Amino acid sequence: MQEYRSAALAGLLLSAGLALGSLFLPRPVAAWDVERVQEAAAQYGPRTLAAARQLMQLVERLGGQDEVQRLRALNDFFNQRIAFREDMQVWGKVDYWASPLELLDKGQGDCEDYAIAKYFSLLATGMAESRLRLVYVRALLDGRPQAHMVLAYYAQPDAEPLILDNLQPELKPASARPDLAPVFSFNSEGLWQGVGATSAGSAVARLSIWREALAKIRAEGF
Amino acid sequence: MSLIRQVWVLLLALMLAALLGSAAVSALSMRQLLQTQLQLKNNDNAAALALAMSQQGGDAQLMELLVSAQFDTGYYQSVIWRRADGSVAFERSAAARASTAPAWFVALTPIEAPAGTAKVSSGWQAAGSVEVRSQAAYAHDELWAASLRMTALLAALGLLAAGAAHLALRRIRRPLDNAVAQAQALVQGQYTLVDEPGVPELARLAQAMNTMVARVRQMFEAQAEQLEVLRRQAHCDALTGLSQRKHFLAELESALNRDDGPARGGLVLLRLRDLELLNQRLGRAVVDQVLGALGHAIKVYPERVKGCLAGRLNGADFALWLPAPDVARDTAQALSDALQASLPGFGSGIQVALGAVELPRERPMSDWFGAADAALARAEARSGFAVEALALAAEASVQGERAWRTQITDAILAGHGRLQEYPLLDKQGQVVHLECPLQLRLEPEAGYEAAARWLPLAQRSRLTAEVDLHATVLALEAIARDGRPRCINVAPASLLDGGFVARLREQVFQAPQAARKLGLELAEGAALQHFELLQEMGRQLRPLGVKLGLEHAGPGLSQVERLYQAGLDYVKLDAAVVVGVSGDAARAAFVRGMVIMLRSLALKVYAEGVVDPLDVQALWDCELDGVTGPWATAQPV
Repeated sequence: MQEYRSAALAGLLLSAGLALGSLFLPRPVAAWDVERVQEAAAQYGPRTLAAARQLMQLVERLGGQDEVQRLRALNDFFNQRIAFREDMQVWGKVDYWASPLELLDKGQGDCEDYAIAKYFSLLATGMAESRLRLVYVRALLDGRPQAHMVLAYYAQPDAEPLILDNLQPELKPASARPDLAPVFSFNSEGLWQGVGATSAGSAVARLSIWREALAKIRAEGF
Repeated sequence: MSLIRQVWVLLLALMLAALLGSAAVSALSMRQLLQTQLQLKNNDNAAALALAMSQQGGDAQLMELLVSAQFDTGYYQSVIWRRADGSVAFERSAAARASTAPAWFVALTPIEAPAGTAKVSSGWQAAGSVEVRSQAAYAHDELWAASLRMTALLAALGLLAAGAAHLALRRIRRPLDNAVAQAQALVQGQYTLVDEPGVPELARLAQAMNTMVARVRQMFEAQAEQLEVLRRQAHCDALTGLSQRKHFLAELESALNRDDGPARGGLVLLRLRDLELLNQRLGRAVVDQVLGALGHAIKVYPERVKGCLAGRLNGADFALWLPAPDVARDTAQALSDALQASLPGFGSGIQVALGAVELPRERPMSDWFGAADAALARAEARSGFAVEALALAAEASVQGERAWRTQITDAILAGHGRLQEYPLLDKQGQVVHLECPLQLRLEPEAGYEAAARWLPLAQRSRLTAEVDLHATVLALEAIARDGRPRCINVAPASLLDGGFVARLREQVFQAPQAARKLGLELAEGAALQHFELLQEMGRQLRPLGVKLGLEHAGPGLSQVERLYQAGLDYVKLDAAVVVGVSGDAARAAFVRGMVIMLRSLALKVYAEGVVDPLDVQALWDCELDGVTGPWATAQPV
């Protein structure tokens, strides 16, 4: 009798505990976890691991330098290393947002893959999220309008941004890019509220393609 | 705590745990779902608003208007537009609405949906961000309502489950109760059978118990059979099967002295003429056949009429006592006619003489035999099949039945009854209880009269129930006064009165203390003829402490088929059985056999009507529990 009662009580407490536990997951911390990145890169293969090590060395070197130099170095790092390809060719999908490691692994990607890889690498150098924005732009390429994405850097909140783009690999101020018309911008600021750092399986973490990519990238240590 | 109650508590505890557990889990998972949906709404609406604001070319007025429009058409707690430096550019907010759910529920299931944020830009210009926070109260309302529905549903399910459990438990409980009742009845010396239930474990239990009861029954039947053999040896004439002289006289003595006989009776003596001559002429074997035929003709009467006694007094003499008035002559004539037709078959010259006499029952035995011998002598003086009858004039006071009825009823109403007290002593001389026959004063001036005088009339007037209830009241009063155990006689006829047992029970119920010392005894015939009624009476009264016994018990007892199920406390052996045990080993053996059989049924055994101190000693040797009668009454207490 006593045993049955305590077993039933334990079951009740267990189920209640499981349900309550999900309320108190740890809050995410935006950080660059070198070991995790290496670990994740190692799973793609030695070539990717080598590329990731180069990125890590670069990021480490850039840590003390001024921000424009960091922008230029990382802009060049990805623009030189990665070949532009449509998602359909690389991933077999209409639209796919790759993580920096996936990009390094494939060695090719489309505009948002460049922007994302640059964004997270810059964050890894210790740059503030609020200074960077991913921007949807309408680009005129050979006179034809095209949907495109670039990374914009704002030294001050209301300053003119510097544009990191793969179409024109040089770092330029926005005013020097008449071919780009900005439509909408976003970054990861504030998006981590209420979402676990490693909860790639969480429903909220996958509410949008951006959040899904975020969750994936965080899981790889960025 | 009883077994069934323990099972119930266990079931309820499990059910409650399951119901509460599932209610809690479902409420918590629903809470999680609602929280996710709320956050999704915040995020999406923030993104949509930011997208729209980013297209306004930096017109602050238009952007504020968009914020207001979003806030007014939706269900928001706040919509805030912050500049890039974090300061508030425009804000619309409402107080957080209180939920209709109780506060404790809200506290127990917090729903925290973080505000959704999105960046606003104007061309390349960063224009800050928007923060959208929805009202969470409706989620709690929904959660509360759903939890209530869930609880109601689960409670209904719980009730259904409890109902099913109740039915299942009852299915187990019934056979269990039966088995327990059977076991308790065993302790009280009642051997009952129960139906085998469907539950296998209980079925085996019931089987085992039934088997044991069957075995006890076999043992009992074997004992009864053996006893019957002993009885024949002790009491019966080997040739004719009729009572032998000694036993017939004891039986007749008992019949003449008991309370519940008829006022008048008849005695027929039958003698085979010229026994010696017949022996010489026909040979002993033929004469034995003749005597057997005579016995057979006479035995018909005691077999058919209750209370009728028949015996072989000596070689050629037979006696038949009839417990009814006005039948002696006719019976003698009928016997004579029957024998006249059958006896010549054995040879010529076989003739009988019959003498019949009718007397009031209270006359001593010597009067009976004196008168009957005189009649027989007159018949013998004649030749052939001769019948002579002698009837003394009936006594003068023959009242109408109605007058008797009135007298008895009046005597009871007026309380003109009293109990006599005769002790029943055990071996140590201690009073076991007092036998208390009722006396009634039927006529105001006259004295109290014994039951022998009015009981036959009460029986005929169907007043025995009233009389017995009156005796019970008197006995309970007397017990309450001096605390001595008493027992009273109950007429078997009273059992036939439908309300008798219920009224008796009511009386006994009002004096619970005295009831524990009250004994009720019925003549053996009650167990033979009204077994079910007797059993029911025991079921009603014995739980209240009342003892139930049989009196005047004799050979009939072994014919009570289910004595082991009767539910009795004691048996009093009739004087006809116990008188004369001191001088007769066969009679003593029969009494001892009776005692052993009755003891095995957990009954006490007493002897009635004991006169001779030698008999008393012999009865103690037979292991009786007590004796009553003239000897006991004469002992100094």
